[in-house]
Amino acid sequence: MAQARRPGMEEAPLGEGIEISEQEANARKQFLEFRQEDADTLRSLNDVARRYADPVIEDLYRHFLSFAETKAFFVDPRVLDRVKQLQKEYFLRLTEGEYGADYLANRLRIGTVHEHINLAPKWYLGAYNFYLRGVATRLFEAFAKDPQKALSGFLSLMKLVFMDIGLAVDTYIHARESTMRKQQEAIRELSTPVLQIRDRLLLLPIIGVIDSQRARLITEGLLRAIRANRAKIVVMDITGVLTIDSQVANHLLQTVTAARLMGATVIVSGLSSEVAQSLVALGIDLGRLNTVGDLQGGIEEGERLLGYRVVALGEAGGPRPA
Amino acid sequence: MAVPILKQGDVLIASIQAALSDRDLTELRDELADRVGRFRARGVVIDVTALDVLDSFAARTIRAIAYTAKLRGAMTVVVGIQPEVAFSMVQLGLTLEGVTTALDLEEGLALLGPAPQGGPRRGG
Repeated sequence: MAQARRPGMEEAPLGEGIEISEQEANARKQFLEFRQEDADTLRSLNDVARRYADPVIEDLYRHFLSFAETKAFFVDPRVLDRVKQLQKEYFLRLTEGEYGADYLANRLRIGTVHEHINLAPKWYLGAYNFYLRGVATRLFEAFAKDPQKALSGFLSLMKLVFMDIGLAVDTYIHARESTMRKQQEAIRELSTPVLQIRDRLLLLPIIGVIDSQRARLITEGLLRAIRANRAKIVVMDITGVLTIDSQVANHLLQTVTAARLMGATVIVSGLSSEVAQSLVALGIDLGRLNTVGDLQGGIEEGERLLGYRVVALGEAGGPRPA
Repeated sequence: MAVPILKQGDVLIASIQAALSDRDLTELRDELADRVGRFRARGVVIDVTALDVLDSFAARTIRAIAYTAKLRGAMTVVVGIQPEVAFSMVQLGLTLEGVTTALDLEEGLALLGPAPQGGPRRGG
């Protein structure tokens, strides 16, 4: 419906749009029982549609402009004119009898545009309902002498419109999902840093939930960092891991083992009392793990293994400030 | 011999250059066990840097080499396991339990430490 595009956005690629195969399109039409008769019926209404296009669309935009939330989309009068024009094209297209791939692609595009301009589905659906009521009234007005014809025309139109709405809703969902996917990826990348805190000493802070995919990313990132930094000791801090189950514990053990295969020793720090207790309760063999209470202890242990000694300035033997 | 074994002081270095057949691996095991005694070696370094896969037989054989060498008085260090190899080994449960590992040849030799006093020295 309302093709409220921002000026200049016309050619913007809507790359993340979904694709509907011919098979999928046919399945949707079959389920709606949208048949050739419906297409023919709709085509026969084209003349009526032409006659009523302008009043129907004027009504619709009067409705839009009488609500603050929807009015906000049309502050620019040029946008309003343009959208009205597109709306009219769509309105006429409903009765052109051609509902192939081109038509579907156009419908999918609209949903993506709506998502882009943040037009919530409630306004889209509400406006569609208003629009259909306007169309129905005029249809029965045009065929006052043949209400059967008006009804069958309206029913065919409903099938088509519901297919359109289905496509638009799908694009809404798809657009949201792809946003969520991108955010998840971003979070995942942010949440698995490997930091060098001393020569040959790495810090791997783990925060949040670990699933097998994330465990894999953590391990791969760590192994690459071990090679790149020529690390000998890794302090894996799990203060931010609030709960642990046998699967997570196994992931962590695998990370430790993989690091060892590359010649690095892993010190696990920050086991909370809950985590420690559940590990014991789960009966997971952590005998081979090098564990230390907190992150400070982990770093100190790492420094000790590397032969560092941290000395405060001014202490005996240490360098003195000038 | 598929794998050349170099002698550097009292350390033997076996540098595996390409994927080995099971037969090559067995040969390497026997050869190393023999030479550890013959050269009175203190350490053995097995360099697998060039390998992009380490299967269960290879892992088992390397472990066997390490244990055998230990019984004969030498410490074994496996060096150069690549990140991808380490990851897939862990997935397969091949953990080389009880075998010392190091990042690369240099690290492995450092781990074995300098030759004890009285042993062969490098340079003048």
